[in-house]
Amino acid sequence: MALPAEVDLNPAPPPAEPAAPVAPEVAGRSPSRLAWARLKKDRVAVVSAAVIVLMLVIALGAPLIEWAYGIGPYDDFKARLDRFGMPLGYAGGIDGDHWFGVEPHLGRDIFIRLVYGMRTSLLIATAAATLTSVIGVLVGLAAGFLGRWVDAILGWVMDFALAMPFMVFALAVVPTVALRFYGPRDDIPPLFRGVVLVGIFAVFGWTGTARLVRGQVISLREREFIEAARAAGAGLGHMLFKQLLPNLWAPILISFSLALPSYVTAEAALSFLDVGMVEPVPDFGRMINKSINYLQSDPAYVFFPGITIFVMVLAFNLFGDALRDALDPRSSR
Amino acid sequence: MRTRAASAAGAALALLLLAACTENKGEGPSVDVNRQSTGVIATDPAQSRGPAAEVAGAAKGGTFHILRQSAISHLDPQRIYSFVGLMTAPLYSRFLTTWKDDGKGHLTLVGDLAETPGTDVNKDCKTWEFKIKDGVKYEDGSAITAKDIAYGISRAFSPDYSGGPTYVQEWLADSPQFDKAWDFKANKGSFPPGLTAPDDKTLRFTFAKGHCDLPFAVSLPYTAPVPQAKDTGLGLDTQPFSSGPYKVTKNTVGTEIVLERNTNWDPATDPVRHQYPDRFVWTFGADPDAQANRIIADSGDDQTALGWGGVPASLVGTTINNASLKSRSILSPTPSANRLTINTLRVTDVNIRRALNYAIDRDGLIKSLGGDTVAAPMTTLMPSSTLGFVNYDAYPAGPSGNVEKAKELLAGKTPELVLGVLDTDAETGAQLEANLEKAGFKITVKLIPADAKLDETSKKNNPWDLYIDSWAADWPSGASILPVLFDGRTIKDAGNNNRSYLNDDKINVEFDRVLAMDPAAQGPEWAKLDKKLMEDDAPAVPLYVDVAYYLHGSKAGGIFVSSIFGYPSFVDAHVKS
Amino acid sequence: MFRFVVKRLLSAVLVLFAVTMLSFLMFFALPGDPVSGMCPKNCTAERLERVRVELGLREPKLVQYAGYVKGIFVGRDLGTAQGGHCDAPCLGFSYVRSEAVTDTFKRVLPVTLSIVIPAAVLWLVLGVGLGMISALRRGTLLDRLAVGFALTGASLQLYFVGAVLLLVFTYTLRWIPVPHYTPLLEDPLDWASGLVLAWMALAFLFSAIYARLSRAQMLETLSEDFVRTARAKGLSSWQVHGRHALRAAITPLVTIAGLDVGSALGGTFITETTFGLQGLGRTTVDAVHGGDLPTVMGTVILASVFVVVANIVVDLLYAVIDPRVRLR
Repeated sequence: MALPAEVDLNPAPPPAEPAAPVAPEVAGRSPSRLAWARLKKDRVAVVSAAVIVLMLVIALGAPLIEWAYGIGPYDDFKARLDRFGMPLGYAGGIDGDHWFGVEPHLGRDIFIRLVYGMRTSLLIATAAATLTSVIGVLVGLAAGFLGRWVDAILGWVMDFALAMPFMVFALAVVPTVALRFYGPRDDIPPLFRGVVLVGIFAVFGWTGTARLVRGQVISLREREFIEAARAAGAGLGHMLFKQLLPNLWAPILISFSLALPSYVTAEAALSFLDVGMVEPVPDFGRMINKSINYLQSDPAYVFFPGITIFVMVLAFNLFGDALRDALDPRSSR
Repeated sequence: MRTRAASAAGAALALLLLAACTENKGEGPSVDVNRQSTGVIATDPAQSRGPAAEVAGAAKGGTFHILRQSAISHLDPQRIYSFVGLMTAPLYSRFLTTWKDDGKGHLTLVGDLAETPGTDVNKDCKTWEFKIKDGVKYEDGSAITAKDIAYGISRAFSPDYSGGPTYVQEWLADSPQFDKAWDFKANKGSFPPGLTAPDDKTLRFTFAKGHCDLPFAVSLPYTAPVPQAKDTGLGLDTQPFSSGPYKVTKNTVGTEIVLERNTNWDPATDPVRHQYPDRFVWTFGADPDAQANRIIADSGDDQTALGWGGVPASLVGTTINNASLKSRSILSPTPSANRLTINTLRVTDVNIRRALNYAIDRDGLIKSLGGDTVAAPMTTLMPSSTLGFVNYDAYPAGPSGNVEKAKELLAGKTPELVLGVLDTDAETGAQLEANLEKAGFKITVKLIPADAKLDETSKKNNPWDLYIDSWAADWPSGASILPVLFDGRTIKDAGNNNRSYLNDDKINVEFDRVLAMDPAAQGPEWAKLDKKLMEDDAPAVPLYVDVAYYLHGSKAGGIFVSSIFGYPSFVDAHVKS
Repeated sequence: MFRFVVKRLLSAVLVLFAVTMLSFLMFFALPGDPVSGMCPKNCTAERLERVRVELGLREPKLVQYAGYVKGIFVGRDLGTAQGGHCDAPCLGFSYVRSEAVTDTFKRVLPVTLSIVIPAAVLWLVLGVGLGMISALRRGTLLDRLAVGFALTGASLQLYFVGAVLLLVFTYTLRWIPVPHYTPLLEDPLDWASGLVLAWMALAFLFSAIYARLSRAQMLETLSEDFVRTARAKGLSSWQVHGRHALRAAITPLVTIAGLDVGSALGGTFITETTFGLQGLGRTTVDAVHGGDLPTVMGTVILASVFVVVANIVVDLLYAVIDPRVRLR
């Protein structure tokens, strides 16, 4: 599932059975084309996909938007603040120059920081979701198909990864790990912090997918088409990647699409506890968490990032649901 | 039920819309930051006698609440050094001397347990004598003796009870390694060399060198009396043995501390404390936002409460112009001075240091910190609350700095400097980076984990050029600021307070000259030295003093911000009926 | 059955052992210095060094670890600065809090338990109930409302919901007192009123997730063969839905619920921070920021114990609920 209230990197696997084996084709329409057709007809799926695409375009096109808007994410406008650091004028300083107003205290433009912040968040979430899916699929395939001691060991590693309290580790490791890789006077590029976050997510986040894939593989393992391939003397690589994997795309895709928003929110939650990306790099999560304190004194500051993350996560969730319905006709509405 | 929920949501929405749609024209009260301390050492023993003058409008009874996020680290008076500890200790402990403070910078040092703030027996500051008052008692009714005070000070020698100030220990041992010079555990029951209690009423300090600041130094909680029979070791940290107007009756570590009246405390012996509320209750857990919101809501117990965390900068926008909160707010500058320390071992060119002083945008920095309710600009090394303070600006560049002037001094060079800031202050780092880069510097911000920073920047060969330091002197004299921070002869390999690592012989000689003077005459000399340091050496960029902004409940009274430590004092606290 | 339990326990012990080992090495090798927090001003290098020796921080890492593990099982003697002898299970002494770590836990664990257990009951009943109803009444307005609720809840952030709840119910309307903790046995009413906001926030978000899960699960189960068989056998719809379908649909939920509760018991970091409650989560956050290593280590161990135990309980429950599962 998508967002767990506290941070949970192992979203529960969506309840979907493995799709029918690819091999027997009767009507000449492959399941993936069937799914695509179903997805196209689903209005919710189309709208949420459009929102996601729009956000991706904004994130990737941030420098272009900066060029057109004329204000960069690091420019500050202290003259727009009063003696207490609050934005002058109406609704957090909204006007023609600053579409969403300016940040209290630091005086930077909210709109352009939101655009760049979305870029940071989506990059981290996508990288983390991809990495965890890859690790999860590989481990799940190996554990499920090879069984025996491989399964036993990987199962134990899974238990181990689950038992390690993610939050404590993230809290303790993220701020200090840079000290080991960089000299005391070196500039630490923001990319490094991002990589550390993705790494932490990867270390703790793969078990969900691995469990899911393992379960699917176990139920597929005994089916005829695998037996047939085995009898034909197919190699291990062929069995795993040519026979099994194509039948696992549906659950993997669904779990990926639901993992993505959970990493967006996990990153935001880490910023809430002061780990995550650091100033002055624009970051969605930190922006939201900082803004919440201004709920009473500068609601406009809370509104724009808040509504954006809500819409973003909602779109991902809706799309994930639609995808599941499309790929797994039996659970469709 | 649904309509009620809807109306709740509606009310909140209306509130937010109201906040969003009012034009902010930038009005608000201002902080009197230029007030100056006047301080004297009481010469008339009558000033040290009780009872303390009644507080206008104060009544007895009620429970006074204090809200704080995290627990108080130590209650054991010998181990107290945090601000919250320093402000709480007077409720349950008495010291050798103490400050009479009106909260507006007018200070008098008086005897607390002692009849006077000390006698300099031979007028060379080497031998000091204190006479203990009659009628001073512990919570169990037994009398407080000079021996108990000596025992308390000897406890402070033990590394097991570390954490507190170390002035008296170092002066008695004449060495910073005082716990090597005299081992508390091995000599339990006897007193360190130079500390004697010839009878129950007399306490005598004998130092190898003169220490004219002793009357100030014994106003800190480590001079609280502890009877040896009542020393429970680490137990005193949660359950101290009271000599003050209140005693700890319940202490749930990390959750709550309840202090109730100590009936054996005699107001006639105490020049500063009162005993108005029936009890004080500390409640831990609520963060500063929650504290402020509770105090603003002003319901139930919160009507008699103070939020220790003050008003967070994010809420100032709603509170500062709220007329109904005006009578419940306290806005006051504090003596906590913040500076951008320049590591002079690395930044050896004094013109670069001067350029930094011209470049600094104090106005922008203060806005980024939270504005006028959080900080007030300063251009001197000592805060304005120091005795004898004279204001000056050695590098006048206006409130936002003078980038051109800085570039001129740099003469086309681009110094590459590394600025170390706490990982919790990343925003300040970003602000300073943007500010200084405009003036032609190349700044790299390095985040240092909060728990390691003090240790790292106090190492002589630390790798950073700039870092933010703050200093809150233990008493408002230049003697507890300038020599501590800038005497080059004290530089060690690690654990330095002189984190500019400045070692200027001309300045060091001046330190010796002023320290040998009568404390009452030192004030103007420190002010002159402050200016000389900035003009000749520019070892730091003075930034700002902390400003205290507190709210209290409508029925809480008598709270003022201590002129010594800059935090709320409870000696006059009372509950309004 | 017995063999399964023994195997499961052995593996769990091994996991816990590995967790302590890894976290010990990681934390005590980190650059932050646990000692510098002990003397705020005027510390000399020599004094700091002696404190480090006193605390055993100069011993080899492996010796320190052995001492730590010994402390857990049989207790150990700590220096006088750390309160002398420390009885088993000894998790060390926090020099930041000047308190044995186990004493800290005795105090803060009830807070976290009081937050998590009622909230979990609430979110399970609410979430599963809502999911079931909307699955059985598929396509109706009720179903749409439930789905909308679930999607909204699943897309909101806990700290956001918490901040709004506090602003509306506590600060503006003043219907609910400021979140605080009173032990249940001392004053049940005060206990509940102090925690109700935390329960609401947690239950809202989690039940949204469970509603989505259980709806999908139920829909799926309803289309399974055995349900059709049951219907064909002429069982009443109550028997079909209540006995057969619910039971099958709830099985996967048990795993998820078990793990969620297990990991929540290890600390509801965000809930406790948002509502200012001093439970295990907030204690951990403070300990990490304050460089309080013994407390951090202790919470790691405690949290992993909860997860591991939850895992075992889930496995056993699985066997009880789902007749198809045979424990090997």
